[in-house]
Amino acid sequence: MDQGGRRKVALVASCLLNQNAKVCEGARYPAMVGPVVEALRRRGYTLQQLPCPELAFAGARRWWAVYEQYDTPAYRAHCRRLAQAIAPLIEQSLRRGDEVILIGLDGSPSTGVRFTSSKPEWGGRPNRPEDDWEIVARRGIWIEELEAELARRGLPPVPATGWALDMGRFDEAGARRDLEQFLDDRVAAAPGKRDDEAVNS
Amino acid sequence: MNADARGWRIALVPDALVNPSAADPGAVDVLRTLEACRYGVLQLPPAPAPSLLLAVIADQVAEYAHHGYAVVAVGVHGQPDHGLHWRALAALLRHRGVTPPPRHVLRTDREAAGEGRRLAEFLNSYDLPADEQRRWRG
Repeated sequence: MDQGGRRKVALVASCLLNQNAKVCEGARYPAMVGPVVEALRRRGYTLQQLPCPELAFAGARRWWAVYEQYDTPAYRAHCRRLAQAIAPLIEQSLRRGDEVILIGLDGSPSTGVRFTSSKPEWGGRPNRPEDDWEIVARRGIWIEELEAELARRGLPPVPATGWALDMGRFDEAGARRDLEQFLDDRVAAAPGKRDDEAVNS
Repeated sequence: MNADARGWRIALVPDALVNPSAADPGAVDVLRTLEACRYGVLQLPPAPAPSLLLAVIADQVAEYAHHGYAVVAVGVHGQPDHGLHWRALAALLRHRGVTPPPRHVLRTDREAAGEGRRLAEFLNSYDLPADEQRRWRG
């Protein structure tokens, strides 16, 4: 917190604090993603966990899926409900002038920020011989809907990146370098904060 | 996909314990303790909590509770409802057919090392019965 009482707030994908939210066979850590928590706390960020959209929609025992399988009106409506649930906390932070960032989960069909998983022909019995989805540069559906909800409230885009957990081969050292670069670039680029920087729309 | 590392245990944790005050560096590091005990976190918002957000959290707890996950709550002494929004949350959980989870309350007015030990003992001692673990966790 700075002298004006403004905080640094990191919105984090649910599974970064709770790997039990991951799809079956997708958890890489027993509890939480320690390197993300450590990197954020070391830089003075408070953590705000986002809800997990897939867990409450498709359940704890869901199959893995790609962007196109979740791109349905019902799933988007579910994501909008979750966005409406968490948006008041985010809006409060932004209007107070807090520095707010978002750390999603790259490669995820829902929570991807820089990348999501795509395979338009996936469907039916989940017996693909190998993980043959493609990684494409776009948001996941939950992040799209969350950003749309913040925009509806007249709030500015939140700087965002993703922890590259769902990109096929997981490279923890590379993911850590990416995240730390994103966080350190923000410090290097930050101008002196002024009292009138809070959102006043 | 890959071998799965999940710990199958989750703690409901107030915002005040996820984000402890920098003014109290000697306090129990609850996140670190949960990580060491292999618990994931479901963060509860500070008061006043948006009612829709509590309902969304209750939906998640119900999904876990119905599918072989052990869920506990870790509150903090000195906050209304120990920071857990317990009356509202317990009602939401019962409505979803879930018995409210066991609770442990951290005392901030006691020596931190002892409180940390008691928290770890509580976390390590709790899990589902063995037959439930076998049923869901393979």
